Amino acid sequence: MWKYCLRRILGMIPMLFLISIVVFTLAKMMPGDALSGEIDPLNTDPVYIEDMREKLGYNDPYHIQYGRWISDFIQGDFGRSVRYKMPVSDLIGEKLENTIFLGISALIITYFLSFTMGIFAGRKPYTIGDHIIGAANYFGMAIPSFVAGVFAIYFFSFHLGIFPSNGSVDITLQNGTMEYWLSKLHHVILPALVLGLLSTASYTQFLRNDIIENSRKDFVRTARAKGTSNRKIYHVHILRNSIIPLITFLGFDIVSLVSGAIITETIFTYPGIGQLFVQSVQTNDYAVLMALTMMFSCLVLVGNLVADILYGVVDPRIRLD
Amino acid sequence: MINSPKHLKYSKKMSPWAMARKKFMKNKLAMVSTCFLLFVIVISFLAPYITTTDITRVNIGETSLPPSSDHWLGTDKSGRDVYTRLLYGGRVSLMVGISVTFIVISFGSLIGSIAGYFGGVVDNLLMRFTDFVLNFPFLVFVIVLNAILFGTVSGVWVLIIVISLLSWGGTARIVRSKILAEKENEYIIAAQSIGTSSAKVIIRHLLPNVISAIIVQATLLFAGMIAVEAALSYLNFGVPQTVPSWGNMLSSANEPDVLQGKPWIWIPPALALIVTILSINFIGEGLKDALNPKSTR
Repeated sequence: MWKYCLRRILGMIPMLFLISIVVFTLAKMMPGDALSGEIDPLNTDPVYIEDMREKLGYNDPYHIQYGRWISDFIQGDFGRSVRYKMPVSDLIGEKLENTIFLGISALIITYFLSFTMGIFAGRKPYTIGDHIIGAANYFGMAIPSFVAGVFAIYFFSFHLGIFPSNGSVDITLQNGTMEYWLSKLHHVILPALVLGLLSTASYTQFLRNDIIENSRKDFVRTARAKGTSNRKIYHVHILRNSIIPLITFLGFDIVSLVSGAIITETIFTYPGIGQLFVQSVQTNDYAVLMALTMMFSCLVLVGNLVADILYGVVDPRIRLD
Repeated sequence: MINSPKHLKYSKKMSPWAMARKKFMKNKLAMVSTCFLLFVIVISFLAPYITTTDITRVNIGETSLPPSSDHWLGTDKSGRDVYTRLLYGGRVSLMVGISVTFIVISFGSLIGSIAGYFGGVVDNLLMRFTDFVLNFPFLVFVIVLNAILFGTVSGVWVLIIVISLLSWGGTARIVRSKILAEKENEYIIAAQSIGTSSAKVIIRHLLPNVISAIIVQATLLFAGMIAVEAALSYLNFGVPQTVPSWGNMLSSANEPDVLQGKPWIWIPPALALIVTILSINFIGEGLKDALNPKSTR
C-alpha cells in the first residue's frame, strides 16, 4: 500500500516536468508579454521598455528562461504579479483560502443533499417522491452549472433577496468577528450549491440505485428474518455497504471542483483562484497564469491518485501494484 | 428470445439493428426528444431562410425592447432581434457540438482501437500519451490555448480544434477497453488465421461489435460539448463576440440590469440550452437501452 503510494507519487514527477514544459511553452506563445500588459506604450519611452525587457530576461534564449523559471518555481518563488504588484505566492495564498472554503462548503452541501434524497428515494423506489427526485436529478445533470448559476442569482438574489449575488464577505465587517464569519457563510451558500449541483445529482442517483440493489440481497433478508427494524436495516446494514463505492468519487470531486471553481467564481464574482485565473488570462499576468496552471495540474494529478488509492482502500479485491 | 419484453414482438429474421430500432421507437421520451432535436437542428440551420433580419446590424433606435409582435423575443442592448440571434446562435452551438463530437469520436476510436488491438509496446505508448492528455485540467488549458490561437484561425474553428485536442482521451480509453475484451473472441482469431490484415480486422470485425458503446459515448459527448462551448463563450473565451452563440447571448446576463430587469435577453438562450441538452441525454438513455440486448425495458 505505502509502496504503491510512494511509487505513484514518484511517477508524478516526470508528468509534472512534462506539464511544466507545456505550460511554459504555452505562456511564451501567448500574445504579448507581461510588460505589454502593464505599460501604456504611448506614455513610456520605447527604449526604457526594451531596457526593462533585457533586465527582466525576456530576451534570453527560451531554455535559459525556462531553467530560471522552473528553478525559482521549485524553490517556491512564483514571481511577481504585474497586475497586483505583489508576489504571486502571497496573492494565491490569499485567494486560495476562499476557494478552499467554497470547495469544502460545496462538498458538505453535496453530501448532505444527496444522502437525504438518495436514502429517501432508495427506500421508497418507484413512488411519487422517487420520481420527483429522479426528475430533479435529470435536470441537475443536464443544466450546465453556469446556467444554473445565472438562474440562482436571478431568483434567490434579485427576486427573493435571500442571498447576496457577489463577493465572498460583506466588506464593511471586521475580520474575526462573529458577523464576519456569518456573512462569509451567507455569501458561500449559493455558489457552493451551484458548484455542487452536478455531483449532488450523480451521487443521489448512484446512492438510490445502490440502495435498491442492496435491499434485495441476502444479508437484508437475513436481517429482516431476525426482526431487525426497517429503519436499522436501511440506516446501518444497507447504508454501510452503499457508502463504500461513493467514497471513491472523492478523488474525482477534487478534479471537478477545480474546473467548476473557474466558472462558478466568475459568475458570482467570488474572489478565489478560479476568478484570479480568468483575470490573469485577460490581463496577460503570466507569472500568476503559469503558477495557477501548474497548481491546477497538480490538483488533477493528486485527485486521480486519491481516486486510485481509495479504490484499493474500500475494495481490497482491487490490488494496487 | 428469453430476454425480450413481452409487448415487443421480434421476428426471427430481424437483425440486431432492426430490434434496437423497434425498441427505441417504443421509448416515447426518446422519440419526443429525437423529434425535438431534429426540429432544433433544422430551424437553426435554415435560420438565414426563416428570418430576414440582419444579425450584425446594431440598431440604436430599438435597444432593449420587450417582446412584441415585431420582435417575438424582444431585442438586446444593441437593438438586435433576440429571436433571430437565438436561431443563428443555435447554428453555432450545434455546429461546435457536432464537429467536436465527430473529431473526438473518430480520433479517440482510432487511438483506442490501435492500442487495444496491437497491445504491448504500442498500447503502452499510446495509453501513456492518453494519460498525459487526460492529466491536463481541461477548462484551464482550453482557455489558455484559445487565448493563443485567437485570431490566427477563423473564429469558431479555433474553439472546435482546441476542445477536440483536449477531450479525446476518455473515448480512447473506453474504446480500448471494449476492443481488449472483444478481440479475445474466436471469430477474431479465425479472421487473423486466414490472413486478414490488421486494418481489416479492426474495421470490419472489431469496430462493428463495439459500435454501440461508441454511439452512446457520442451522445454523451455531444451534450457535454454543447455545454462546454456555452460555458466558454459565457466567460468570453469561446467563439468571438461578433458571432452569436447561446453562450455568447447568455454572457449579457453578466450585467446586473440585464439579469434583473431584462430577462427576455438571457432566458431564451438559457432555456434553449437546457432543453437541447436534456433531449440529447434522453436520446442517449434510449439508445443505451435499445442497443443493450439484455435490457428488458
